[in-house]
Amino acid sequence: MDFEAAPGEVHALLGENGAGKTTLSNILTGLYRPDEGTIVLFGESVEFNSPRDALDAGIAMVHQHFRLVSPFTVAENVVLGDHRDIGRTFLLRTREIERRVEDLSQRYGLAVDPRARIWQLSLGEQQRVEILKALYQDARILILDEPTAVLTPQEANALFETIRAMAEDGRTVIFISHKLHEVKAVADRVTVLRRGRSIATVPASEATPRSLAALMVGREIELGRQNGGRAIGAVCVELAGVWAQGDRGVPAVKDVSLAVGGGEIVAVAGVAGNGQRELAETIAGMRAPIEGRITVAGRNLKGGDPREAIGAGVAYVPEDRLGTGVAPGLSVASNVVLKSYRKPPVSRGPLLLLRKIREVATSLMERYDVRASGPDVPAWQLSGGNLQKLVLAREFSGEPVVLVAASPTRGLDVAGIETVHTYLRSAAERGVGVLLISEDLDEILALADRIVVMYEGAVVGERDATSATVEELGLLMAGGEESV
Amino acid sequence: MNNSLLVVVLASGIAYGTPLLYAALGELLAERSGVLNLGVEGMMLVGAVMGFWAVQRIHAATTLALLGAIGVAALAGALMALIHAFLVVTLRANQIVSGLALTIFAGVAGLSSYLGNDLNLARAPARHQFQEIFPKSFQNWPVVGPILFGQSALVYASWGCVVLVALYLTRTRMGLNVRAVGESPAAADAMCVNVTRYRYAHTLVGGGFAGVGGATFSLSITPQWIAGLTQGAGWIAIALVIFAFWRPTLCLVGAYFFGAFTALPFALQGHGVTVAPELFQSLPYVMTILALVLVSSRAARLRFGAPAALGIPYVREEG
Amino acid sequence: MRVERRLEQPRWLSLAVPLVSIVVAFVFATIVLVATHHPPLHTFRRLFDAAFLSNGALSETVVAATPLAFTGLAAAAAFRMRLFNIGGEGQLYAGAITGATVALLLAGAPSPIVIGAMVIAGAAGGAVLAAIPGILRAFFSTNEIITSLMLNYVVALIIDYLIFDSHSYLRDTKGFQASVFPQGKILPNEASWSSWTIHGLALPLGALLAVLLAVALWGLYAGTRFGFEVKVIGDSARAGRYAGMRTRRKILAVMCLSGAIAGIGGASQDGDFRHQLDPRGLTQANYGYTGIVVAALARYNPFAVVLVAFLLGGLQNAGFTLQGADFPNGLVGVLQGLILFCALGGELFVRYRVRFDRRRTPAPEPVS
Repeated sequence: MDFEAAPGEVHALLGENGAGKTTLSNILTGLYRPDEGTIVLFGESVEFNSPRDALDAGIAMVHQHFRLVSPFTVAENVVLGDHRDIGRTFLLRTREIERRVEDLSQRYGLAVDPRARIWQLSLGEQQRVEILKALYQDARILILDEPTAVLTPQEANALFETIRAMAEDGRTVIFISHKLHEVKAVADRVTVLRRGRSIATVPASEATPRSLAALMVGREIELGRQNGGRAIGAVCVELAGVWAQGDRGVPAVKDVSLAVGGGEIVAVAGVAGNGQRELAETIAGMRAPIEGRITVAGRNLKGGDPREAIGAGVAYVPEDRLGTGVAPGLSVASNVVLKSYRKPPVSRGPLLLLRKIREVATSLMERYDVRASGPDVPAWQLSGGNLQKLVLAREFSGEPVVLVAASPTRGLDVAGIETVHTYLRSAAERGVGVLLISEDLDEILALADRIVVMYEGAVVGERDATSATVEELGLLMAGGEESV
Repeated sequence: MNNSLLVVVLASGIAYGTPLLYAALGELLAERSGVLNLGVEGMMLVGAVMGFWAVQRIHAATTLALLGAIGVAALAGALMALIHAFLVVTLRANQIVSGLALTIFAGVAGLSSYLGNDLNLARAPARHQFQEIFPKSFQNWPVVGPILFGQSALVYASWGCVVLVALYLTRTRMGLNVRAVGESPAAADAMCVNVTRYRYAHTLVGGGFAGVGGATFSLSITPQWIAGLTQGAGWIAIALVIFAFWRPTLCLVGAYFFGAFTALPFALQGHGVTVAPELFQSLPYVMTILALVLVSSRAARLRFGAPAALGIPYVREEG
Repeated sequence: MRVERRLEQPRWLSLAVPLVSIVVAFVFATIVLVATHHPPLHTFRRLFDAAFLSNGALSETVVAATPLAFTGLAAAAAFRMRLFNIGGEGQLYAGAITGATVALLLAGAPSPIVIGAMVIAGAAGGAVLAAIPGILRAFFSTNEIITSLMLNYVVALIIDYLIFDSHSYLRDTKGFQASVFPQGKILPNEASWSSWTIHGLALPLGALLAVLLAVALWGLYAGTRFGFEVKVIGDSARAGRYAGMRTRRKILAVMCLSGAIAGIGGASQDGDFRHQLDPRGLTQANYGYTGIVVAALARYNPFAVVLVAFLLGGLQNAGFTLQGADFPNGLVGVLQGLILFCALGGELFVRYRVRFDRRRTPAPEPVS
């Protein structure tokens, strides 16, 4: 793979999941060593043996998952590991550090209080701390890995301004993304990656979302929609005025009312962190509603009890596959019966019928094409796509009334995504109501019959999929006016 | 006045609390780096026996002999901690099991007794011991005399250690790094703090402190070698760290508090009041449980709770 | 050097690792003995004789192994759910207290009834004590490791109080012995647990109970819905909740189960061996802590627990028998510790594969 970026440039790396974006950045930050080839930094060939080498050479990365110490203050996090100048003094010069952090944050428009503790901050603020860390280390090259995934549109715009300011300072910003419009908005040049190769590098001003998409996928993508054409049956799940608390103790779901009919695919669109995950968990019983009513197939749920939801016919594909969707250390067979172990044919009274479990697992693995070396291998060994197939297989086998799927294709490769889409469509064809939660508008437009947009925990708009446009939905997701 | 209950309890509470304080400071350092070491009792006993051995064998002036003995005790404790560190940091073994194994290996039925027996240390009084360093006239001052001036050098040294450890953790760069390693090794690693090195160093220093705590028994409180002379002080020290919310200064308060509970029943007996000593002795444990419950809520855990990565081996994620 | 997780754990490893651990531990112990001028072979020989070969040694080993089997099973039962109940020590005391109390209360009743009541009371005593850390863990998410550890000391003090510092129902206040040194009341004859002698090997009821419990525990975890739930929650509590399992109730149930097993061990101490509530004997034996070591060595497999308890029991019995001037004191603890260290180190080779190469190549990621 060849790739180059100039000082003062914002260079976007565009590619699908698994295209090699993350691996490339891991090589640049010294986490992996390249098998072959060299890294040339400002005209000098360098070799990184550890993350420290990369950091010393001026390369810093802001990961998708922040690496912050949550009980520490912003200033403490920023100065952590610093070994130059006042970072080298034996005693910490807290005042001085805080002053410097304050200076930096003002210069680059990264509003955050240096004395605040990380756990008090929103995700957007935490990201600013990560960028401050890099700036404090005098990073000349910053790599941002999908930085907008956790941001509201306003925050994203503020971030773009910061990125521009950093570039004007002569720093290089490498911006990793798979969102076309963002790349257009912020980058000078775009390098498109596909299956570990750099396909092309084009100036952003000359690229169109369509041309980029074609490069990214390797063929003209069909924006043709395969939705519609199914008969929509009676309402199978209905939410009326549902409120639920988030993990931070403030309401994350606010007065949500929606209904899904049998055979219908309703998508919930929104930027991550706007209450969609909490909404899904509330329907699945993982989270107790503080107000409102959830009705599944005419049955009122008390809420907050997954077993009740399962009994009512709610199938749930959680966002966190490994750890919630499956018990990673247990065998594939055990995970197949994770929800059905209480009932015949796999158990009799208090006893489990182990042979029966293997039989059920083997046949299900075959039917849903779950590829593993056998039903006894632990689930963590499966690839992302096979893991998701396993979860879907189990959820479908429970003959659900409604299926709630939270980001079901995140992190999957193209083939995996297509399989999941096929499964979701076939579920709808069998009359199951599907509630799809996704941040990916392309996916939503390809699958959904109806689209509900969530912003800050509330439903801010509803559109018919056949007439909705990306621009319109994007505006709603950004908290724009309903009337537009 | 100096025989009043309060003064006696406080003075002896400080004396009894000192070994707890040393051991707790050590455990605190290890835990702040994310290593739970349940082998404190074993490390204390080995420190006690080796410190005592040194004082019997070093032929030098009292001060030198005692200093040497403390050094040997610290070294012995650190050596024991090294086993634990190797197992849990390098080999990523389960910290609880390894700590318990260390207690069994080094404890009453293990190495400390083996050494005590083999080096022929039992049934002989210490040739040198830590004594009150202030003259009697100071000690006769009302109230503060026995409490502040009636103590041995180990007590005053422990105060210095508390201040040093507290300043180290809050004011120095290394302190910041070790706290980061204990809270979020991944974050520390990303910023190039060497997690392994920090964990090793603090586990070893922790063992050294435990060794000194043990030597406090064999060179000051008892002062002789008896197998198992710490009588569970190591476990109280572990409790103390939790009770003190992982803060060195609170360790000091807690240690004297716990020490006073040990001393109280005997002092009361002196005043003609008989109470079951078990009642007071069990209080530290009960209070530790309560303290743990108090810091169990999410919000409290972030401020007062255990280091987030305590007990969890660190494996760098490389996919 | 790189350490990576094994995709498959070869079966032979789970047998080879403990065996190699024991061998390596003995090598280390040899070094210790040589360094301190003891003849290693002779010492090991005497140890082995006293543990398994000499007259009556095997029966004594069973006596030493029985409580370790109980506490080992207790630790293993909890660990299946990744719960660290290190309160087996205290739960054993609790069982001994309740067992002895019931035995004294029921004096005069038919022996099987008394024995049965002691087992139930012992189990109940241990379970109630274990319920405290269980409730705290389930409802306040308080770390069970420290709470159960702290309770060990509280119960040890309670036991001391009952016999040394009070005029409790359990304390003997009349006998001649009692006037010299405080001790517990001798339990009535009906409370003596039966024992069977086969070819000179005395098998106490407690030992048989421990074996039965091991079988039951294995069955519970391998073949029942309860065991399935425990395994799922132990692997991932969120997955358990997602599947509709009552995670809090399960935590409590498993802690109580674990405590009950240790508690029966306490009752067995009363009924099988000591025939009185014996504070010093119980608190100095460290059955609970050694039990955790037993469970860890057995890799939490109930049958292996029984086997390992027997081996470590042999060591303890030998250490006890050989106590004296000519035998290195504390060698048993050193050996036990060394075996465990080696087993812990060997565990690395079961879970991970160590590869020596300089290149870092990214492993294929299961999920990004």
